[in-house]
Amino acid sequence: MTLNYAYHSAIAGIGATPFTKDSGRTPMDQAVEACLAACEDAGLPPEKVNGMVTYSAEQNPEIEVARNLGIEELTHFSMVHHGGGAACGVVAVACQAVYSGAADYVLCYRAFNERSWHRFGAGVQDRPAGAEASEVSFSWSSPFGLVTPASWVAMFATRYMHEYGATTEDFGRVSVVDRAFAATNPYAHFFQRPITLEDHQNSRWIVEPLRLLDCCQETDGAQALLVTTAERAKDLKQTPAVIASAAQGVAEDQHMMRSYYRDNITGIPEMGLCARQLYQSSGLSAEDIQTAIIYDHFTPLVLPQLEEFGFCDRGEAKDFIRDGHLERDGRLPINTNGGQLGEAYIHGLNGIAEGVRQIRGTSVNQIDNVENVLATAGTAVPTSALILSQPS
Amino acid sequence: MSDEMTDAQKEAFVAKLRREVGSTGTPTTARDPVNQPMIRHWCDAMEDANPLYTDPETASSGPHGEIAAPPAMLNAWTMIGLVPRVNDPKDPASGVYAMLDEAGYVGVVATNSEHVYHRYLKLGDHLTGVVKLVDVSEEKQTALGIGHFVTTETEYHDQHGDHVGSMFFRILKFRPGTGRTAGPSDGDTASERPPRPRPSRNQDTDFFWQGSRAGELRIQQCLNCGRLQHPPGNRCPACGSTEMGYTVASGKGTLYSFVVSHHPRVPSFDYPLNIGLVELEEGVRLVTNITDCDPGQLKVGMPLEAWHMQTHDDVSLPVFRPARVPRNPTTLTFDEVSVGDELPLCPIPLTPTLIVSTAIASRDYQDVHHDRDMALKKGSEDIFMNILTSSGLSARYISDWAGPDAVFKNLKIRLGAPNYPYDCMTMSGSVTAKREADGEDIVEVSFRGQNSRGPHVTGTIDLALPRQ
Repeated sequence: MTLNYAYHSAIAGIGATPFTKDSGRTPMDQAVEACLAACEDAGLPPEKVNGMVTYSAEQNPEIEVARNLGIEELTHFSMVHHGGGAACGVVAVACQAVYSGAADYVLCYRAFNERSWHRFGAGVQDRPAGAEASEVSFSWSSPFGLVTPASWVAMFATRYMHEYGATTEDFGRVSVVDRAFAATNPYAHFFQRPITLEDHQNSRWIVEPLRLLDCCQETDGAQALLVTTAERAKDLKQTPAVIASAAQGVAEDQHMMRSYYRDNITGIPEMGLCARQLYQSSGLSAEDIQTAIIYDHFTPLVLPQLEEFGFCDRGEAKDFIRDGHLERDGRLPINTNGGQLGEAYIHGLNGIAEGVRQIRGTSVNQIDNVENVLATAGTAVPTSALILSQPS
Repeated sequence: MSDEMTDAQKEAFVAKLRREVGSTGTPTTARDPVNQPMIRHWCDAMEDANPLYTDPETASSGPHGEIAAPPAMLNAWTMIGLVPRVNDPKDPASGVYAMLDEAGYVGVVATNSEHVYHRYLKLGDHLTGVVKLVDVSEEKQTALGIGHFVTTETEYHDQHGDHVGSMFFRILKFRPGTGRTAGPSDGDTASERPPRPRPSRNQDTDFFWQGSRAGELRIQQCLNCGRLQHPPGNRCPACGSTEMGYTVASGKGTLYSFVVSHHPRVPSFDYPLNIGLVELEEGVRLVTNITDCDPGQLKVGMPLEAWHMQTHDDVSLPVFRPARVPRNPTTLTFDEVSVGDELPLCPIPLTPTLIVSTAIASRDYQDVHHDRDMALKKGSEDIFMNILTSSGLSARYISDWAGPDAVFKNLKIRLGAPNYPYDCMTMSGSVTAKREADGEDIVEVSFRGQNSRGPHVTGTIDLALPRQ
């Protein structure tokens, strides 16, 4: 199997609202602002957009966003399932749409008042019982109080610590890295507010072994990306961030954030599947990546992602992190926008926008000589990943 | 009536109670000599399988050379049995109890018991105990009620007049209904708690929930190739068969991973909440709760056993608690034990049968230990475990870890939260000292038995262990 749309498409525009804790606006209003900003960034009149891809978790239907943007016709519209796992998936689907000719210009967007309206961190405690398979899947965990995303991830974290000797300090180091980049990013919620490892260790338990500072934010805001062919992108305003490849993955015995029944639960095989597809179709490997956006809803699962993408051997992410490789001058600076712990949690889409800025050379925390940027999507769910490259 | 006592009257009352402090009572000779049937009854009720107590052949090659009585039985031998209590006017302790009963302090709980064993008792030994009144406290407000602590010391001698052991003992005599937690709202919070999220179920998964309701842990099994699968599916991923049945799992497993949830707090649960991923011995895993265990006691790999927690009229959940570790058939040597060693956790499900049978086996016929109506009348929520049993179970726990030839030198316990039926007490312990004393190699173990309300028993024990 090969992804024949490798290097065919590009992200030509990015746009976002301010990231806040209480926007005072509707998510729809923010979705429209972010989409307009992405078109404006690309220099494309919004009515030229004829494709839209969003998350199945998105509550602002594409038809209403399209109406607000003045889009008359859509020839491709679709949704990608599984929450933050869709982040790179929406881009992958947009690539497929423009590669196939189903659409010319595709907007990918995500908008919510996830802090002031519906708090994601509360989990599924109020989800009513039902007989459909989607509800039945929760019966194996919710009656026991395992109802939040933090708790679902924590179960993997304890086992990972047990098998590889990682500690909560190793998780904390990821948080410290994110917050260091956020501290120098004026768009980040935690601008000018770095933390120390001691701060992390002193923060309260959420679900052991996760502390407050292991958990991403809840944010009000919106992010949009404009995808088109690399060829068309050349005629637009910005340096195109070429999509070297974008892939989705579901692995054997996959469950939604609770794939606890596999022989081994310290890896993320669905992310490994994405890595194999990306490297195979792009011809790139871990050595070719200068910086990465590693999905960080909760710090512990950053570690196995580094292993799945081959930045270090299995079980050795803790050593890679202790050696400072994720930091500003390290081998692989990650989440240079501050990540979802430091900048904002827009279900991973804001991280992809940062990847675009790293390719353009416009990040507030610009890394030198960036050729290729990896971005990953939500972990423990069916997921996705992509690599952005400099135009040839 | 005593509510209206003035300070001066209270002072006078305490002075009256203390009049006999320091004096000893009439010697009480055990109704029966140390005998095998009573020992066997005790061992059955306490589930203490140490063969030195009941198997003559093993006992003959043990440290005592013959059958020995479980040392924690020390004060069981002189218990009066199920006969009317006669108030001996010459006995200072029973005089104090009678005065307190008369003044309305009819509730009674034992709070401390400290045994010292000079030697193990053998079949035929005939004990005599002499009780000395050591102290009567001022009136105190306790969680159970307003009352007085009465402290005694009993010296035990055998038929030859040899001193075989002693017991420091303290009880609380209290006025029912005067406790800090007493009142009409008591207990209401639990009943107002919303039920847990109800498991979503359908025809594909009903077998699992029907099983748990029936006390069975049912795991889906392919009827064609026998493969087990959890969570259940509609088709065997191994052989493709759609003929799916189930097997009943043993309920034994180990902790594969766990979390301790603190936030956000869902009103249906107690926090911090232990949630485990348990690997069954049959090979599949399931998410569940780990009950009867502090968060700090959770360890990957710990042995667990299933039980079924009823959460709705028609729903029970399979949950797990620490598994009882089998009795150590060989005895630890002094050199094998280090300060800081932790004993394995041991759950003791508090069935009514356990509470009643152990009370009777220890010859404690106080009605609060077997008669619910009388227990309620005396200010208790239910029948509760007697202190001899708390000693006996503590001794069993330590002996099961140390091995049959460990020799108890003493056993000191202090009681807290009562052991009511349908709860579970989980024993934990660690080695807190090692020393040589009088030519013996002594290991001190500190232990605790915790139920859902808090620590029921805390204590220490000195054991003589063989050097080799």
